[in-house]
Amino acid sequence: MSDLTAALEAIVGAGACLSRPEDLFVYQCDGLTLCASQPDAVVLPASAAEVQAVVRACRERGVPFVPRGAGTGLSGGATASQGGVVIECSRMNRILEVSPEDRYAVVEPGVVNAELSRAVAQFGLFYAPDPSSQLACTIGGNVAENAGGPHTLKYGTTTNHVLALQLVLPDGELVELGSPTGFAEGYDLVGAVVGSEGTLGVVTRATLRLSPRPEGVETLLAIFADVVSACRAVGEIIRSGLVPAALEIVDQRTIAAVEDSVYAAGLPRDAGAILIVELDGPRVGLAPQVERVRAFAAGEGATRVEVARDDAERERFWKARKGAFGAMGRLAPDLYVHDAVVPRARLPEVLAAVCAIGDRYGLRLSNVFHAGDGNLHPNISFDRRDPDELERVLAAGGEILRTCVAAGGVITGEHGIGTEKRDYMDLVFGPSDLAAMRDLRDAFDPDGVCNPGKVLPTPRFCAEANPRARGYDRVPLV
Amino acid sequence: MDSAEALRRLVEVVGSDAVLRHDPLELDGVGLDCTLRPADGPALAVALQALERLGLAAIVRGGASGLGLGNPPRRADLLLSTERLSAIDELDAGEGVCHALAGTPLRELRRAVRAEGWELPMDPPGEAATLGGALAAAAVGPRAQAFGRPRDLVLGLEVALPRGERARCGGRVVKNVTGYDLAKLYVGSCGTLGVIEGAWLRLRPRPESVRLLEARLADAGRACQEGVAAARRPTARAAALSLGADGEVSLAVELAGDAPSVGRDAAELAAGIGAEPCDAGLAPLRALQAEASGLRFRLALLPSRLAAGLARLRTAGARLLAYPGLGLVWALFPLDGADARADADRAWLAVASTARDAGGSFRLESAPLFAKRGRDVFGEASPAWSLIGALKQRFDPKGVLNPGRFAGGV
Repeated sequence: MSDLTAALEAIVGAGACLSRPEDLFVYQCDGLTLCASQPDAVVLPASAAEVQAVVRACRERGVPFVPRGAGTGLSGGATASQGGVVIECSRMNRILEVSPEDRYAVVEPGVVNAELSRAVAQFGLFYAPDPSSQLACTIGGNVAENAGGPHTLKYGTTTNHVLALQLVLPDGELVELGSPTGFAEGYDLVGAVVGSEGTLGVVTRATLRLSPRPEGVETLLAIFADVVSACRAVGEIIRSGLVPAALEIVDQRTIAAVEDSVYAAGLPRDAGAILIVELDGPRVGLAPQVERVRAFAAGEGATRVEVARDDAERERFWKARKGAFGAMGRLAPDLYVHDAVVPRARLPEVLAAVCAIGDRYGLRLSNVFHAGDGNLHPNISFDRRDPDELERVLAAGGEILRTCVAAGGVITGEHGIGTEKRDYMDLVFGPSDLAAMRDLRDAFDPDGVCNPGKVLPTPRFCAEANPRARGYDRVPLV
Repeated sequence: MDSAEALRRLVEVVGSDAVLRHDPLELDGVGLDCTLRPADGPALAVALQALERLGLAAIVRGGASGLGLGNPPRRADLLLSTERLSAIDELDAGEGVCHALAGTPLRELRRAVRAEGWELPMDPPGEAATLGGALAAAAVGPRAQAFGRPRDLVLGLEVALPRGERARCGGRVVKNVTGYDLAKLYVGSCGTLGVIEGAWLRLRPRPESVRLLEARLADAGRACQEGVAAARRPTARAAALSLGADGEVSLAVELAGDAPSVGRDAAELAAGIGAEPCDAGLAPLRALQAEASGLRFRLALLPSRLAAGLARLRTAGARLLAYPGLGLVWALFPLDGADARADADRAWLAVASTARDAGGSFRLESAPLFAKRGRDVFGEASPAWSLIGALKQRFDPKGVLNPGRFAGGV
């Protein structure tokens, strides 16, 4: 047993410290299986004090550490790309306090996103950010990635709902940032930490804003002959000043995959695209909004518009959207879920360009996306054992990002930069922009020990900088 | 090099038309008679670099509506104004976003945005407030409960840094996690890290219906309860409680949204607390938020502690304005007694203990110099403030921008 492992075991106990290769194997990647690197050890601390001790033990030995939630991230952010210790927060999973009166909850980082909403439902409240992985992903990971979800159009992303954080800094100190009031004095350090992808410290507690459940919800499903018309309808809805809770599009290729799977929602297979519109708010105001949406959809050529009559039907509509990733799993061994954002008015042309890129590279590319935010998720189904296809997947991915940036967009809306897009950062930002970001990071972590190798590009490529990092083509298929 | 010589060299670098001499503007005991007015972003960056090299310190200003906020400066040689950076570059009505330069007056931006069918989701106090100033101060008004805090509506920023570089963060799209969210850091940093040059903002659709209602309530405790409940109505966009020295309590609620929902909420407020339509608008009700006499504090309290907090502040002799939907309270203490210092000490203690017991925070927004001395106007120091110093050291190591004015004397 190494000195490091012995020290970690002394802190968290032998049962909460993993160092056998077969245990570490599980932690070599997150939801992005293309970026993999094995850690030296994994610890599962049970308290902030244990996290502090682990961080200090790492520092003393000059070993980097990587905070990790449920590992559902899609940008390789929670991997030990330069080796070191993964700090997995899943054992810190208590809801410590719920204040219905002041509408906040204090939770540990390992609390599963959907469980929080379930726990506060009795008070007529919910936690608004709802990433697609919400049944598995944890609050700590959500904070690190500034997670979004289908309902961010109206409710905002994680950063709009985090009021305070307890953070173990990279030097092992414990600090409290922010305030449950939402108006702490000093710099907005909570805002700086949310979305920093676990590079500024380890979150050990979060105070989250809870939102009142809307009085009424109406869900519409509009069927279009093609995806461009669906995008146009979205543009019309946004322009009109309506603020739906969600505006989601599923394209024809995804519909086919869904209908072939256990998620089948009874959608017409020949539909070019479906648009899901969810409206919520006071009941008295919803009926006129439903009619306006119906008119916009019809105006852009929707062949059919259905309004959910009850919760069961609403669930059926959403099944097509939420089951998409599961259904895609049937098409090929691997799925690369891309993530980029463009101004909403540019969606029709960008989407057409994205599909053309997929076709040009001979790839199975489908789209399911948060149209209301302009947040695209082109999904590429592939088999990484085929080196030629893998190369085409990566090349197409780069082209998609360039296309989005050229349209005034950015390279990630909710998945983060991680290791995946680190070397694409200069598509969006220049040297002085990146230098300012580096200043922020260095102020928190002057020695670069906290999740190194993520977010900011390095002059050299991953494999050169770190001989331990494994190239895409060297990852074994599980 | 003395200050006069440094200023002379500064004029050589930035050009004489970028430097305006004027009657001294008094700021916490320092008379500033020189204002640097860069013409555009590149000129702003050049000016900052020159200031750093010449060892000069600047007080950054927009419309000067919040200039009083801050500790007495450790050093101040001149003012740096963003007034010439005034333009609305882009107003995308299809997208509901806009980009404007920092010196753009908010009233101009508001008008332009309205004309396109949208609404600027910012309502800080001050007629002269500029976009950059309001963002730097993270200034809020009562509608922040619906609009969000300034940090919530900024999509992207361009900032000029003391090292002479211009840096962007965020972008124009409404959802974005590309890189660190530095905009959060700049917003509310009171110009101590960099000077905001321009910003992308998320706009809000103009509501179909807006109604302002007012109710007189006899009892302050009940008023708080009713205020929080009213502020949480689905269409409530603002709520303001005003507690005069005479014991009079009034509650104003602004409803906004689709007409049927607003109508329903208005009818229920009328039936519940006797709220009646009010034609005067929100401005007179919130005047206290910008009053400059005496000591003006801002407290942030949890809604459940609001009633107790207000009662305590009132006993201590404050006039009060509260936004129950936000938990924000403005407390104005007169300094008209025989011993103004003793008055200030008493007010400070009352506010600090109220905030502490309610798990909240406070700042002294406006006060004469003597009342700021020996205190931190941003309230009680937190261990996290060590990070403020570390950030300042990275972004502005020479202390060019508002040195000493921020929390922790940064």
